[in-house]
Amino acid sequence: MYNVILIDDEPLARQLVKSLLQPYNQFNVVAECADGFDGFKMIQQHNPDLIFLDVQMPRVNGFEMLELLDNPPSVIFTTAFDEYALKAFEAHAIDYLLKPITRERFDKAIQKWLAQAASKQQPQLQELMQEKVYEGYQHRIVVKDNGLIRIIPANDIYYVEANDDYVKIVTKDGSFLKKSTLGHIEQSLDPQHFVRVHRSYLIPVSQLVRIEPYEKDSHIALLQCGAKVTVSKTGMTKLKSILGW
Amino acid sequence: MSVFDKNIRWVILIILIFAAGVIKVVLRHAVGVDLEEAIGDAGISVLLMSLGSWGLLMAINAYPTRVGTQGYAFFMAVALAGITCLFDIGILKWWLGDNPLYRDWLAHTTLMRFFICLVCFGWIASLSAMQKKMAKIEADYQQHSDAETLHREAELFKLRQQLQPHFLYNSLNSINALIMIQPDKAQEMIGKLSDFLRSSVRREANEKIPITEELEYIEAYLSIETIRFGDRLQVEIKKDYTDDASIPPFLLQPVLENAIKFGLYGKTGTVKILLYIGYEDSMLEIHIVNPFDEHMRPPSGTGFGLEGIRRRLYLLYARADLLETLQEDGLFTTILKIPQ
Repeated sequence: MYNVILIDDEPLARQLVKSLLQPYNQFNVVAECADGFDGFKMIQQHNPDLIFLDVQMPRVNGFEMLELLDNPPSVIFTTAFDEYALKAFEAHAIDYLLKPITRERFDKAIQKWLAQAASKQQPQLQELMQEKVYEGYQHRIVVKDNGLIRIIPANDIYYVEANDDYVKIVTKDGSFLKKSTLGHIEQSLDPQHFVRVHRSYLIPVSQLVRIEPYEKDSHIALLQCGAKVTVSKTGMTKLKSILGW
Repeated sequence: MSVFDKNIRWVILIILIFAAGVIKVVLRHAVGVDLEEAIGDAGISVLLMSLGSWGLLMAINAYPTRVGTQGYAFFMAVALAGITCLFDIGILKWWLGDNPLYRDWLAHTTLMRFFICLVCFGWIASLSAMQKKMAKIEADYQQHSDAETLHREAELFKLRQQLQPHFLYNSLNSINALIMIQPDKAQEMIGKLSDFLRSSVRREANEKIPITEELEYIEAYLSIETIRFGDRLQVEIKKDYTDDASIPPFLLQPVLENAIKFGLYGKTGTVKILLYIGYEDSMLEIHIVNPFDEHMRPPSGTGFGLEGIRRRLYLLYARADLLETLQEDGLFTTILKIPQ
């Protein structure tokens, strides 16, 4: 018996998946959620084998929710999304169902998942998360804060620092750790506002107060919050081109 | 224009000037002027007329945008004909004036020389003025058709916006579900979706339509959204207007879609959207109120999507104050004003 959670903000869309699952008696729907926030809670509670996940949802969207999970379950995306996002899914061999979902396509996805489950192969979800699958840039970052979900608006970020397997996001409300890479964060934020000034630092240009020479080939940037971060030679070149020096 | 074409033009011009000279020599000699004097006279006249034509073209080209180019061209032709004749007579008198017979003939032909010059210059002036007019008409036509193309592209874009593939695919997905659990309801939704699509395809994007027509369209849209989101979505419409009010089409639906999106995506549970339409200071005033969570920021790049509406209102009415937004007590209000 496999436990399944359905996450979609439209009740009829969840109903459709439930109906399509009916012929398969090895699946048991343990929870239905209307947003990523609930989805996150239910996944932690039930630890399902498979989730059906919509992308555009209230509060926390499908991608953001997956980013927060330490051990994400297998995912079949159900989405009306465009080709751009679909290419990302395809490249990573993660199954997706395009709305409107047909019985034929649904059965195929289930067979594919069953075959994978039988061979104990897990789809490479983490890999997908490293890629840029969103259209445009993000205006927020979602983090876990004592088991709760916190949404950090990009404007509130003082700077982001690489910290082993994590990144430390420093904001006016304190700093938060997120399991991600600085490269991934850098890609998701608007490069006109956020500059990777050093291997370990990503700063918003608006936070910049002063830049002083430090050692040979490197500088120190003083930020509005009072922090000082190292600026590498390439970082300096990037800053110069953005600020138009 | 190729270099060859240009060369041909010059050759033709030189042949013409030369031919004019030869004809003049023959004519003058035929009325009894000495051959030597006839050649000198014709040479000077043709040379001065060529110079005059050149000066005339320069003068017309110097003011390409001058208002009433034709009048200006004619004035220049008269003035240059006078000047050319004065020089012609002056030079010829000084050069060949020793012969009293020739001087006599010169005095007799003064008026005729002036008229020949005038006819020649007038012809050049009106031709070049006409050419300019043609060029202007062509440029105007080009500009007009460019504008038309742009306009059509904008209209197509609007239509594509209107058809909204997301909305369509999600609605079809809902119908798919309804077919299995409530076939009656599925039929109803197909009907509503068709109504909505039909009216979006049929409409002209730039003409104002009666508010009642826009409301029918909005109601078709809302009934689909209500089926999609079930009990979670409640929409209340308050009307306080006369039926002759009008509104540019495709303005209300995107605002409502925004309200629904941010109402539903920012909160869980039931979401109530209020649409009020009324009159205020001879303007149609529309309020759309949706709840929103102040702590939630909209995800990527949506920016509440109202900029497009603001821009359209500005293009239609050249006013920047027709769209307002208010945020208070967890309610987001969009206010549209439509001059009547």
